[in-house]
Amino acid sequence: MTGARCAEPIEFEALVAYWVGELPSAAEAPIEEHLFGCAHCTRRVEELAALAHGIRAVVRRGAVQAVITPPFLEFMKQQGMRIREYRLAPGERVACTIRTDDDAVVSRMQVALAGVKRVDALHSLDLGDGHQRQWRVEDLPFDPSTGEVLALPSAQELRKLPAHIFRVRLVATDESGERTLGEYTFAHTPG
Amino acid sequence: MTLERLRDGRLREPERIVSFVLGMCRLVVLEIRRGSWRREKLLATWGDAAEAVEDSAVLGLDADKLAACLEALAERERTVVVMTFFAEKSGDEVASELGLTAGNVRVIRHRAIARLRGCMGGGAS
Repeated sequence: MTGARCAEPIEFEALVAYWVGELPSAAEAPIEEHLFGCAHCTRRVEELAALAHGIRAVVRRGAVQAVITPPFLEFMKQQGMRIREYRLAPGERVACTIRTDDDAVVSRMQVALAGVKRVDALHSLDLGDGHQRQWRVEDLPFDPSTGEVLALPSAQELRKLPAHIFRVRLVATDESGERTLGEYTFAHTPG
Repeated sequence: MTLERLRDGRLREPERIVSFVLGMCRLVVLEIRRGSWRREKLLATWGDAAEAVEDSAVLGLDADKLAACLEALAERERTVVVMTFFAEKSGDEVASELGLTAGNVRVIRHRAIARLRGCMGGGAS
């Protein structure tokens, strides 16, 4: 078995599908057979393994922010992660923090999503020093049936921040324009 | 399947059994790596010193760079990638949780992984 380039390398997407176990066994077998004899493609699986391992590690260390789903949040808990949750209705304000023994903080913004095609978030960060930073996050992933948007901020970044006010305005956007779905205020104090 | 063929004497190139065994060893190692979650948790709880070493490199990947590359993805892409690799969810599972079609999720996943590999300095097919 040499490291020579493979004449017919398996598509990386097929390796990903194989990795997450979404292929029927009839499709897995030829991939496995190929991998058994191909150092080139096996190295690409190793690259995939390193990527997966790295992503698990950086998420667990709180180095990544993402919009997540309720089942994903449950999975994090099942893995032993200590999660501090804040559930807010539209218009609500919550006093929040992140403690040293928290692995992550998740905000659960309750919102009516029926019929909504696209959701953007308008963020505003006020550090109390006279400067406000505002930015827009476009096209959040969401499942309308859940009636909430779950945001997982980077715990590492959150720990660096002093006391601040963070506001989120969720807006529905479509061809006719945009309308506010809800505003949520997080009054953060360091843990 | 290969083992069954070997048992039945139907393996086309029996001399490749050495490659087969080596390949299987590699896959076993990969499985061990995939199952390294428990070890990671133990390290997170007890292994401050070891954690400091691993912070800079995760199986050869620069963790800070990987986090930056994830941050550079579009919101949907990041969610799909994290759900795929952190929770090892299939395209169908991700789709059902995000109210999308499985095909749509695979397109997002494909694009996101390509961008991630490109950002990390890999990406050759």
